[in-house]
Amino acid sequence: MNDPSDTGDALARATDLLRGHTDTGWTRLQPGLLERARGAFRTSEPVRGRHAHGDYFVRTDVLTDQIRRAVDAIPGAAAASITCTTGDRDELTGVTMQISAGYGRQLSTLAAQAHAAAHATIVELLGDLAPGVDAVRTHVHIDDVVDER
Amino acid sequence: MPPTTEAADGHPPDPVLVRRARLGDKQAFAAIVTRHGAALYRYASRVLDDRSATEDVLQDAFLDAWRGLPSFRGDSSLRTWLFTLVRHRVSRQLGRRSAVPQTGFDDAAADIADPAPDPAQLSLGRDLREALDSALRLLPDRQRSAWLLREVEQLSYAEVGLVLGVSPTVVRGLLERARVTLATTLKEWR
Repeated sequence: MNDPSDTGDALARATDLLRGHTDTGWTRLQPGLLERARGAFRTSEPVRGRHAHGDYFVRTDVLTDQIRRAVDAIPGAAAASITCTTGDRDELTGVTMQISAGYGRQLSTLAAQAHAAAHATIVELLGDLAPGVDAVRTHVHIDDVVDER
Repeated sequence: MPPTTEAADGHPPDPVLVRRARLGDKQAFAAIVTRHGAALYRYASRVLDDRSATEDVLQDAFLDAWRGLPSFRGDSSLRTWLFTLVRHRVSRQLGRRSAVPQTGFDDAAADIADPAPDPAQLSLGRDLREALDSALRLLPDRQRSAWLLREVEQLSYAEVGLVLGVSPTVVRGLLERARVTLATTLKEWR
């Protein structure tokens, strides 16, 4: 940091002022950037779902986000990674999850809860084309799970 | 410095936002934009000295961040990684310019207002900050970048080196030269 005796009080004061300053340009730009952030997308695969009126598609990033929310809702659990795989007709063939578990949690219980939550989400999103519960693979490792709730 | 707890700005700490955004949570990404955007803008705008180019850089860098988050391993802090993305975009902008506009000492000195004899405190602060902005224009790009990242954004020497792609020793040299120029230019404000 600036030492006033070395670089002058004015530079130290000016540096403090600049550090606490928010440019009006940023204030103007921020709303548009946030709008773009909400509309941003990543390249992701389509996943086929089916309901009474026919087939439809859900992107894997949407599926991943929804599974993450379901797993994070379990106390002491946090999804660290979620990978979806699809088959030739874009049907979901598998989901592999890594779950972080808070220290002291019963891992087998947590894994079962995460597994069930993920599968329920998949059924909700893909309807009749949701794969069986065995298609979901869950790996649990102990980690610091920040209490976000 | 960025908030590290939920209480600081109402959002979870960076590692949690990163994890969520990596898994597709756009609200978490929006929180990252809100938390770090002002500092990134402050840096880019003072290196580029061009509002339109700064806006392009911020938009592109945040798009890079959204797309790059799934592969972000957390070897550096989120903040340092974001500055690295912005720096990359800033360098591309500078590279497009046939010649980076250089402000001569006389021009910059003219921009540095003399301290008024009886100004309001608020105006004094603004004048002093604007004088610093003018003095910064005297610095070559790398000195300016190093100084901003270290002194204003408070990155460590190693982090500044990471952002600029140079060693901490080089960072130290850049900072020493930048400090001398800035202190000399602002000496009227003592």
